[in-house]
Amino acid sequence: MNAKNLINMGVIGFCGMATLAFTLLLDTTPAAAHGERSQEPFLRMRTVNWYDTQWIGKSTAVNEIATLKGKWHLSEDWPRAVVKPVRTFLNVGSPSSVFVRLSSKVNGTPMFLSGPLEIGRDYEYEVTLKARIPGHHHIHPMLAIKEAGPVAGPGGWMDITGRRSDFTNPIKTLTGETWDTETKGVATGITWHLIWGALAIFWVGFFAVRPMYLIRARVLASEGDEKLRDPIDTKVGSALLVITLALVAIGYFTTEAQYPVTVPLQAGETKIKPLPIKPNPFVVEVTHAEYDVPGRALRMQLTVTNNGDQPVSIGEFTTAGIRFLNKTGNERNLDTEYPPELVATAGLTLDSEAAIMPGATQQIKLESKDVLWEVQRLVDILHDPDQRFAGLLMSFTDSGERLINSISAPVLPVFTRGGGA
Amino acid sequence: MFRTDEIIKAAKLPPEGVAMSRHIDYIYFVPILFVTIIGTFHMHFDLLAGDWDFWLDWKDRQWWVVVTPVTAITFCAALQYYNWVNYRQPFGATLTILALLAGKWVTVIAAWWWWSNYPYNFVMPATLLPSALVLDIVLLLTRSWVITAVVGAWLFAALFYPTNWALFGYSKTPIVVDGTLLSWADYMGFVYVRTGTPEYIRLIEVGSLRTFGGHSTMISAFFASFASSLMYILWWQFGKFFCTAYFYLTDERGRTQKVHDVFAYGDLARAERAKLAGGKA
Repeated sequence: MNAKNLINMGVIGFCGMATLAFTLLLDTTPAAAHGERSQEPFLRMRTVNWYDTQWIGKSTAVNEIATLKGKWHLSEDWPRAVVKPVRTFLNVGSPSSVFVRLSSKVNGTPMFLSGPLEIGRDYEYEVTLKARIPGHHHIHPMLAIKEAGPVAGPGGWMDITGRRSDFTNPIKTLTGETWDTETKGVATGITWHLIWGALAIFWVGFFAVRPMYLIRARVLASEGDEKLRDPIDTKVGSALLVITLALVAIGYFTTEAQYPVTVPLQAGETKIKPLPIKPNPFVVEVTHAEYDVPGRALRMQLTVTNNGDQPVSIGEFTTAGIRFLNKTGNERNLDTEYPPELVATAGLTLDSEAAIMPGATQQIKLESKDVLWEVQRLVDILHDPDQRFAGLLMSFTDSGERLINSISAPVLPVFTRGGGA
Repeated sequence: MFRTDEIIKAAKLPPEGVAMSRHIDYIYFVPILFVTIIGTFHMHFDLLAGDWDFWLDWKDRQWWVVVTPVTAITFCAALQYYNWVNYRQPFGATLTILALLAGKWVTVIAAWWWWSNYPYNFVMPATLLPSALVLDIVLLLTRSWVITAVVGAWLFAALFYPTNWALFGYSKTPIVVDGTLLSWADYMGFVYVRTGTPEYIRLIEVGSLRTFGGHSTMISAFFASFASSLMYILWWQFGKFFCTAYFYLTDERGRTQKVHDVFAYGDLARAERAKLAGGKA
């Protein structure tokens, strides 16, 4: 090796060491989300409109029960690019199975299997969870739609304390035994794998103790396979064949005797009726909508009609699990447990905060303004080929009744400060 | 006990050559051949039969029974060709499935249990070792790949379900949760949350096999046997294709010929002479 080579290798080595050293300087804070903000805004805003989400049991010990519950409305403005919800499954977005899911009900119907849902209707869900792995976990409700993918709902933090090794999950079978989902079948499975593995290693080892490749290849090529036919191979092979078939039969019939009552995997469909349509005397139509890029605000012009007999006040606009509230919304509908990073408590303003009187029709300018549009990457709607928004407008009567209107419209971008309608 | 001495003598190698051949056996057999099979076959198998072998709630009586053996017999046939035709070694299929299971268990422990926190019973792989043993032994006893394709490959697939019933039979025990009848396996799939794997992803119990008098498993196993037989023939030929080495040799008189099997008796000295004489090899 000459001096030039030495210098070259030294430089390469130095670069490698410098690269490795540099990695130590990088921020290695653990990632804690599931990429929910990376879902396109049209998916989050115009498919499943989540509301009233609650994480009950924000701190539980291992083996304790927590509940994830809430409602969703399937937007009437369902994107053309997204497959209709003909087969859906209520799921939980979590970092692995930190909770086990004991039960899942949609409108009171157990949802163990997937099923169809109706666009434009509302559903109420409740998922019963049991704490399994200690930690600080970000948990989402999630509606998976076949051929469209999962649509994540708002995420909330749930803490689990205790020791993982204490977790048990005993379930009673229809035949009367109680088994633990963590351990049932482990010993049996591993035992059979070991038995078959031992026999297989014996079989390969039986040939590996003798010359395996080069010598046999030379003999085969020069003299044919007569010399390679060892009578003991045939005897051992025949014996092993009998042992193998006998073991398979023993395993099968003993298992049949041990578990005489079985059912095939269930592959049906969950039939869920949507919640009844609630009469809503408050009619809302979006006549114009624009997104103010420098102002980080979605502005709408609404034509509203109050066909009821009580004054109605607008209090909240919610989309993609993010809530924009005004004073009315804060007073009537603020769940203080809702993740604060998903709420703009002063994010909703109206040009007239006065209640809409019974029988009145009026034009209202509504602005939902907050940095959340950017933080939650909903502003990416402006890069969509179909620039529309959808969400839920929540209004309240004087008597406290909440009226929910599903609204949607095309969105025009405003790129200059002070621009727009 | 063995005819080893006789075979070594017939190889006409000096003692150093014999010792060297054993070193080659050890270096090649485990670090190279076995690990290569783990890498290639494990990936091939997981891409084609992955979910059926990962999850307890995918192991149904139709698709699992068909997909798994048909996918697994591929490399078994090719490795049988390589080991049998070149060396008369009847362990190609067993070695292949051992390698597959080695890769499987690395994945189960490292990826599914340690990283993803799923219990072993939920991600227990099926075993095809009895099927592979029978396939190898049929080849050894009959010394015919055609009979192995017909008898061995059929047994390979037919034995799959009864073999694995011992491992997974319990998981078909019924339970009732919230007034709904489920098998234990269904409930395991529900209990252990898989964020990216909703229930409808399962490809199970689809098709019209259930119309055959309720004997879905038998019909599936029969079909799997038939398909495995065809797959065996196809992949034996793949093995043949990839084990066939040749080169073109132009000798001193300018004649070019295609020379097969450089592995055992390619006359390289002759090729060298040809090159020196201005020919090409």
